[in-house]
Amino acid sequence: MSLPIIEVSGLSVRYPLRRRPALQDLSFSVAQHETLLILGPSGCGKSTLALTLNGLIPHDIEAEVQGTINVAGVNVAAASVETLTRQVGVVFQDAEAQFCTLRVADEVAFGLENLGVPRSEMDGRIQQALRQVGLAEMAQRSLRRLSGGEKQRLALAAILAMKPAIIILDEPTANLDPAATAAFFRLIAPLRTEHTILIVEHKLDECIHLVDHVLVLTPEGALLAEGAPRAIFQREEAKLQEYGIWIPQVTEWALAMQRAGHPVDPLPLTLPEAAETVQQLRIPVQLPAHTSHQSVTAAVPLAVRIDGLRFTYPKADQPALHDVQLTVPEGSLFALLGPNGSGKSTLASHLIAIHPTVPGKVFVFGQDVSAQAGMTLARLTELVGYVFQNPEHQFVADTVYDELAYSLAVRKEPEEQIARRVSALLFDFHLETLSKANPFTLSQGQKRRLSVATMLAVGQKLLVLDEPTFGQDRRTTERMVARWRQLQQQGVTILFITHDMRLVLAVADAVAVLAAGRVIFHGVPAQLYEREDILQAAHLLPPPLYRLAKMTHPEPLTLIADATRGM
Amino acid sequence: MGLFSYYEEDSFLHRLNPSIKLLVIFLAVIILTLAPDPYTPGLFLLLTLLALWVVGRVPMRVILRSTWPLVLLTIPFFIFNTLYFDLGKVVQPHIWFHLGPWTVARESAIVGLALSLRILAFIACSLFFVTTTSPTDFALSLIQQAHVPYRFGYAILVAYRFIPLWTEELATIQAAHKVRGVGEHSGWRGMLQQFRRYAIPLLANAIRKSERVAIAMDSKAFGVTSQRTYYRELHICRRDYVFLAITLLTLLAIFYFLGNY
Repeated sequence: MSLPIIEVSGLSVRYPLRRRPALQDLSFSVAQHETLLILGPSGCGKSTLALTLNGLIPHDIEAEVQGTINVAGVNVAAASVETLTRQVGVVFQDAEAQFCTLRVADEVAFGLENLGVPRSEMDGRIQQALRQVGLAEMAQRSLRRLSGGEKQRLALAAILAMKPAIIILDEPTANLDPAATAAFFRLIAPLRTEHTILIVEHKLDECIHLVDHVLVLTPEGALLAEGAPRAIFQREEAKLQEYGIWIPQVTEWALAMQRAGHPVDPLPLTLPEAAETVQQLRIPVQLPAHTSHQSVTAAVPLAVRIDGLRFTYPKADQPALHDVQLTVPEGSLFALLGPNGSGKSTLASHLIAIHPTVPGKVFVFGQDVSAQAGMTLARLTELVGYVFQNPEHQFVADTVYDELAYSLAVRKEPEEQIARRVSALLFDFHLETLSKANPFTLSQGQKRRLSVATMLAVGQKLLVLDEPTFGQDRRTTERMVARWRQLQQQGVTILFITHDMRLVLAVADAVAVLAAGRVIFHGVPAQLYEREDILQAAHLLPPPLYRLAKMTHPEPLTLIADATRGM
Repeated sequence: MGLFSYYEEDSFLHRLNPSIKLLVIFLAVIILTLAPDPYTPGLFLLLTLLALWVVGRVPMRVILRSTWPLVLLTIPFFIFNTLYFDLGKVVQPHIWFHLGPWTVARESAIVGLALSLRILAFIACSLFFVTTTSPTDFALSLIQQAHVPYRFGYAILVAYRFIPLWTEELATIQAAHKVRGVGEHSGWRGMLQQFRRYAIPLLANAIRKSERVAIAMDSKAFGVTSQRTYYRELHICRRDYVFLAITLLTLLAIFYFLGNY
């Protein structure tokens, strides 16, 4: 072990007007050129830790800080922000909200300008940083024309140009599709020889191979455990599960094998390691997949039928949807996949007639959604509930109760019936104690539950969800999936837009994949994973466990249904 | 982007220093305000649009798309000013016709025309500035030439970056409320309520995003040194002086020769 570059001892951070500290009595150290993974449930203070290490807390953001932090030999409390920002660079989650210029090269230059780097050096440093992230050809491009993945690579380049000793990645891939996530972490691998890297991340499958050391925080912001990843996952599995922290899918599989009495040692973290485990055990991988054997084309009643839908946005040159054909069987859990901008949301929003449709194209439970065919919005919103990605966008009332009562009240339902329906929804969605709260003051998970509940208030039988797992930790995702299954039993059809392949493997009965406004695949998940061409076109990767099964079984797989360990 | 936005091109007008452009526009506006005749603003208007089209290489359709709604708006302005001009000040008005209580004379029409053309000339000036000035150059020039504090210059840039994002978000909120069954509201109370419903999520997100931008900027050492350097340095060079001289001389010449006509 080389010398520690970060030494934290007894660190507590408390924001003004908060009773509970965000971080409590943290002590740890990070060796130079080590890669540290920071794990913890939502709201455990991971981002606070990042901002404490680069000195923004308390130099810039007011907070009460106790304990000492040494970064690259300087005491953070005594050092200037200038010294600290030269040592520590941070890539944030929200790509839109970390840029302040309009062009790629200008954005990389921004940090250099702030540090007062001579102008003559800038071009070289900008070019080098852009080359490192594969954006050298795009130096003059407008930021608006970058994809999500390119934006995060640019955010990384802007930090690399400043040559910090320490790079903190604060959930950098939260908004990225699977292929872009993998591409981002491929850039990190070669940086480890020059930099000390701290990663805050939920998607461990994609980054665990980079990690030397793991730090686990409790929901209260205290240290639960630290150590090598293998030891942490072995020792702390129960706690991690309790806190809703994801662990690599193959590791989860191996731990299940151990529980079943198989000797698994060492515990695999990555796909190649797991493949070796499979070889040693000589037991085929059973996929914890939820599989449906129903064919999507079978003659079952349909919740959705889309027949040759074309759509072009006003002023756009290219159609957003080309002759889309799609059927969603009644009572199914249906996943809509595809890269960002492929038309998923556009397609889904046609189910609720956000865009005008000509008759004969889109049918929900056999009824044409087109206004020209006589469908009213009031009638359609009784058939379809549509949950937007950001729950706040849908809130229209001042209390949780009124929010749930809203759709019933506009339908002039009798008062006591509204009261009965609302209390049932409050109970079903665990919002009983919050009925008088303002929707905007809820936690992210509560907001999401509320937005789903409002969309079921008038007895909608089709629920459309736009990226329902976005930004959710494992526990909230698991609870959400359990609720979906309940709803499914009550006869609700659920169509969800997602990038999350683990979720698809765990719950989807059927999937459709969109690319550039066309449906390029429509079938069951197991067939999709066999189609390399489709996955590539849609920027998708099969879930790790599926890839493991595939690596160890060359023949086409039969999935074994096992809904008990769904996720 | 919609009307009145930057048109990317690499022309003489685009390369001019934004601060000089602002100065020229400021001086032009003063001269136009002092000129009482319709010829000075009229000819200046034509020349500005022509320069934008020929020298600035901004396509005519872009120019017209941005200007025609405003041209329409100046028509009632013209009529109003013509009808309500106080003819008592004129010694011997050339009366054209009577329209109910109003008298329309040559003199009142000329004043109405002068005022309308002046407004259109101002609009042409802003169109000229906005279409030929990249927002980045504008902010940099404010900092480097006009010596505006650089924090303020970057605030402009960040605001500019966020405008299209807010437009998109507003459209999403409108769609989301439609799905909730919120109808269009009529009457000022309904409008007010609707405004409140849109404003809360928009503001909540705006505050959140601006905090994040501020943190991200500060994390990249924004404002830590007094010797900030600039990747792109803008200068005032010969073409800027040439532009300044040509524009002002032309305008003064028009005023001198036609203004007293």
